[in-house]
Amino acid sequence: MPSWFSKVFKTDEEEPKVSAPVPVDNVDDVDDDEEEEPLPEPRRVVNAPIVVGDAEASGYSDEIVIKAKMEPQSNGCTFLVDRPLLEGGMSFWAPDADTAYASAPLAAAIFDLGGIATVLIHGMTVTVSRDGSEFSPWEEVAKRVGGQIRAHLKSGMPVLDPEYRDKIADEATLTQQLQKVIDEEINPGIASHSGVITLNRVVGNTAYITMGGGCHGCAASTITLRSGIEGSFRMAVPELGAVLDETDHTSGTNPFFKELPAEMGM
Amino acid sequence: MPRLDTFQLVLQTGDSGPGAVPKYSINGFPLEFDDYEGGTGPGETLQAVAHPQSFPHTLILSGPEEGSWDIVGAEITYHCDGDEPYSLTLGEVMLDDHADLNLWYAKPPKVFDV
Repeated sequence: MPSWFSKVFKTDEEEPKVSAPVPVDNVDDVDDDEEEEPLPEPRRVVNAPIVVGDAEASGYSDEIVIKAKMEPQSNGCTFLVDRPLLEGGMSFWAPDADTAYASAPLAAAIFDLGGIATVLIHGMTVTVSRDGSEFSPWEEVAKRVGGQIRAHLKSGMPVLDPEYRDKIADEATLTQQLQKVIDEEINPGIASHSGVITLNRVVGNTAYITMGGGCHGCAASTITLRSGIEGSFRMAVPELGAVLDETDHTSGTNPFFKELPAEMGM
Repeated sequence: MPRLDTFQLVLQTGDSGPGAVPKYSINGFPLEFDDYEGGTGPGETLQAVAHPQSFPHTLILSGPEEGSWDIVGAEITYHCDGDEPYSLTLGEVMLDDHADLNLWYAKPPKVFDV
């Protein structure tokens, strides 16, 4: 057995010796001055700012510039447009074509291309996922989606149907509804993983959350967010737009893995 | 997640630094750099190379045991299995005896005009 093994895993033959228990009637004899040593402050991981050398100057011109960015985790693609699509924190989520046709002309135009599963519009971005019915590479599909976005914006048609926009509840109401879902459904559900979700704020119909406890830095946090939290939110609040995770999963006191004892250092 | 074969670190220290060459940790395992030049004293530049050949959930540069470490900037070049190398430039950051620096950034997604 390697020497470090017993330091990490307790074995039967190496049970630590336990001192005799103090009789109950002699509790007063226990030395009150004996204080537990405070735990050392845990080390934390910090992020340095990433320096971007080729930042492009912004400014609206007649030509609408759209960049596409692949999203490997979701098999989707995010389109960054050089001007706001929706303002005031408003966002729009279309889980299917019918929702898009009823409420958001831009999303409907993207669904017209076929093979589209979902569309999310928020700020200057449009995030699109595909339903798997078409096997063209994203580079080809992205050009068609980009062309559709550009044509729609040039046409002057609204991104979101004004009537639908007026029906969306105010921020206070949405906050109350989402908090109820967190308190009654989400947090009790992820408590078994020591996870906790905090609703930081609602702006427009966009929710900003933080994933804490066991969810902070967990490699499955994206799945929890997209499949669990978002699903529960949208069941209760259909007009909810984007759900954005503000957690910095790479920093803090225990991102992804707890450091092993120094004796195991290689 | 790609296998990180090699990474190169070029790090410039500002007014304060530990002097000694730090360790790095991959997935919680502290390791020494395989090769290096320079140092981490005030105003010094460290050029270090490591060959972890592992799948990084975390990649961390250990902060100083005591005092502070003023890092002016750093450039990291990653060589992952089956992929082109990519580089990242980090800006100024201050570490102390309770802070380590995150070094792992996955390859940025491909961006193209449409």
